[in-house]
Amino acid sequence: MPRKSKASTRAPLLPLPLVERLLSAAMSRGADFAEVYVERNTTTAATLDEGSIKSAQSGSVTGVGVRAIRGAQVGYAYSDDLDEAALLRTAHTAALIADGNREPGPVNMSRTPLPTYYQVRTPLASIDVARKIELLQQADSAARAYDRRVKQVTGGYADQTREILVANTLGHLAEDRQDLCRLSVQCVAFGKNGERRTGFYGGGGRVDFRFFEDFSPQQVGREAARQAVATLGAVPAPSGPQTVVLAPGWSGILLHEAVGHGLEADFIRKGTSLFAGKLGEKVASELVTVIDDGTVAGGRGSINVDDEGNPGERKVLIENGVLKGYLYDHLNAKLTGQRSTGSGRRQSFRYAPLPRMTNTYLAPGDQTPEEIISGVERGLYCRQFGGGQVDISNGNFVFEISEAYLIEGGEITKPVKGAMLIGVGPEALKNVSAVGSDASHDPGLGTCGKDGQAVPVGVGLPTVRIDSVTVGGTGA
Amino acid sequence: MKLLDTCELLVTLARKAGAAEAEAYAERTREASVRVRDGEVEELHQASSKGIGLRVICGQRLGFAYGTDLSKDGLKGLAGKAVALAQGAAKDPANGLPRGAQLGAVAGGEYDPAIEEIAPEWKLRAAREAEKAARAEDPRVRKFDSTGAGDFLSQAAIASSQGARGESRASYAYVYCSPVAEADGQLQTASWSDTRRTLATLQSPEEIGRIAARRAARMLGARKPKTQRVPVVFDPQMAAGFIGGVSAAVNGLLVHKKSSFLGALMGKPVASKEVTLVDDATLPHGIATRPFDGEGVVSRRTPVIEQGVLRSFLYDATTARKAKAKSTSSASRAWASLPSIGTSNFYLQAGTQNPEAIVKGVKNGLYVTAMLGRGADVVTGDYSRGANGIWIENGELAYPVQEVTVSGNLLEMLRGIDAVGDDLEFRASTASPTIRFAELVVSGA
Repeated sequence: MPRKSKASTRAPLLPLPLVERLLSAAMSRGADFAEVYVERNTTTAATLDEGSIKSAQSGSVTGVGVRAIRGAQVGYAYSDDLDEAALLRTAHTAALIADGNREPGPVNMSRTPLPTYYQVRTPLASIDVARKIELLQQADSAARAYDRRVKQVTGGYADQTREILVANTLGHLAEDRQDLCRLSVQCVAFGKNGERRTGFYGGGGRVDFRFFEDFSPQQVGREAARQAVATLGAVPAPSGPQTVVLAPGWSGILLHEAVGHGLEADFIRKGTSLFAGKLGEKVASELVTVIDDGTVAGGRGSINVDDEGNPGERKVLIENGVLKGYLYDHLNAKLTGQRSTGSGRRQSFRYAPLPRMTNTYLAPGDQTPEEIISGVERGLYCRQFGGGQVDISNGNFVFEISEAYLIEGGEITKPVKGAMLIGVGPEALKNVSAVGSDASHDPGLGTCGKDGQAVPVGVGLPTVRIDSVTVGGTGA
Repeated sequence: MKLLDTCELLVTLARKAGAAEAEAYAERTREASVRVRDGEVEELHQASSKGIGLRVICGQRLGFAYGTDLSKDGLKGLAGKAVALAQGAAKDPANGLPRGAQLGAVAGGEYDPAIEEIAPEWKLRAAREAEKAARAEDPRVRKFDSTGAGDFLSQAAIASSQGARGESRASYAYVYCSPVAEADGQLQTASWSDTRRTLATLQSPEEIGRIAARRAARMLGARKPKTQRVPVVFDPQMAAGFIGGVSAAVNGLLVHKKSSFLGALMGKPVASKEVTLVDDATLPHGIATRPFDGEGVVSRRTPVIEQGVLRSFLYDATTARKAKAKSTSSASRAWASLPSIGTSNFYLQAGTQNPEAIVKGVKNGLYVTAMLGRGADVVTGDYSRGANGIWIENGELAYPVQEVTVSGNLLEMLRGIDAVGDDLEFRASTASPTIRFAELVVSGA
């Protein structure tokens, strides 16, 4: 169960009487909803290259975004100038979406009580940068010590302490502090005849800095090095339809691309997603239950509250293959008579929110990974993955496999070079023929892009077998 | 205060705080856009914004801090923070700001006052016209992902303790349309857009809507072809994406770290003779044209590959010093981050064949019009991307296909380009004419 957070004792990011004046100004031309979003984001980053810390960086940006909605029409304006006159100008600009004059009534705001799904005690911004740099140095040494063929190591550490205040004319007021960190390492291993292979690993989340005592930088460095070395001598990946087995964890990007985006309510309302109008229909194998969960403890995509002031939720999207629900933000929920699922997220105060995923994962099945692999006569075992993309109207999705092996006679054999998997969402999910009991979340690396806005997300998958997925390699 | 004066003040404050060298880069932007749906406004967006970043070098250590508070107190805070952060970084003799003759102490930039004066009504009309034209073009276009228009103005300034001093201005206007065509339960989306530095050169909104609609509608009925090795033609947008992948391989830092497949091939043939790739920050009206780069080095034109021979990598000042090369004025910059190597206007020079002739020359192959995924691994050159397009039979565009990947190796692909079109257009900062690869693996059924 989540812990209840203590009542905030700190001063709000913007004085509440000013927030109320901004809401009134945004409503002054006849809008039927207005919202003020205040954000202060403080970041620290360091990079390591060629064995030494290349730079240490830090910054802080504060800004206010004001949104006015009238029917389906949205006015949005923002300002990084925090004096009252500039903010009122911003609110009046957003108000222009409506065309009239109205004396807006008073707004009675009350704080939304929030649980906390984060595992952060000390704000990351207050941890000494020297300790962050030390993580990189330890990861670098471990990667180099793993194998002499590891010659290039690049490391990155980044964290942010993002404080938000959201208030709207429904009277909701929510404040949250969202810390997030990530350590990552990339390695290049040099083989014979100029062959080079890369490895990439890392992790983090909405976790305390002490997270790295368990998820050690040495482990991160070694895993990146292992991937690079393991794939030296890889043969070209096969091309054409194959049976594939996906290793647990980051492979959850399959769900994110194949179904997740297509269930976001903006695409559903516009009718541009192939999942529109399919509630209650069978869209996947009955082994498939997909959950989007903003309440995972310490998850990279977890949110106590979304960027519209609605609490984070756990939503079942597909249950035993049947489509159960979509991901709603405030606007798309209102326009279609639904309720927000706490899915309204934005990159920063410079953007209006969109319906987005949080942590998206597949519920575990009952087979062991060994059973799943041994049942494959000939196929591909995909162990590590890169990024992916989807076209939500025709459902075509891709995701990169960065480390893969042939399966021959039920055994994992030779490494193959990286390749792309391509499929059509519902077809690929109907071809899921085995789901493992080894459910696992990714280590906390994912960032999702939509309409030019990046937000942190998590994914998860147990070991899964999919029959007949097209593999885009160059081999036979 | 003028942006340049703010930069100079910050440099002075950083020197006082103990920086041996300091450089401030600031930007102020104004953006406004309109999105429409069914002829009505869906979203109006308007904002102005500003920010400043400070790079300091103290005892050969690099520190960086950024913020949006341009008051004197805010700047003082940044100066102290950047100097403190530098203490955490390692000493590196390559750290240093560009100086001397390579700096462009200039004011300039391509700026069109007509864009500054675009009225909201103009954008609304442009977006409506694009949407209307898309609907009129094909009855199967009934839905839209989005349609809109906007403008963007920016001012940038740079000052450094080593003599950089520059101001630039830029303006852009754009119109885009992403219709969705629907038939027999299949949805297909496509998009078309145009972005220009000057308003007069912007493609007409009707034209943008019509092209977008045709691109979506012609994909209806797409099927999955068999896996095979065939000639593959990339339309100009997809070809631009391909050379964008190649641009990472000429990044001087990756080359220096032996992490580019082109790293050891300077002066060698790396592509077919038809291939000339150029990075040109001085291109008239170019989207990425600028008087100086992100660290004040005066802009230039750099041939990267000439008639198939690798001629130059791209460098910023720090990497150039490490690699014993010269800056090619390739420092990309935003105020909230350190400079890094990037392209400006990066393009494949036009060839002589018209695109129809290039397709005509294919008996059985794929014409690619949309792609998914990043695809290229710059270390190994391995390339694999999801693709949609039109199958070519006997020199004719025959039927739409989807759910395939095209795969190869970037070096082999560059060498295998056997036709370059005459249809080069600068619709974005990376641009290419139609190109044809003699043979790639197309994976499908």
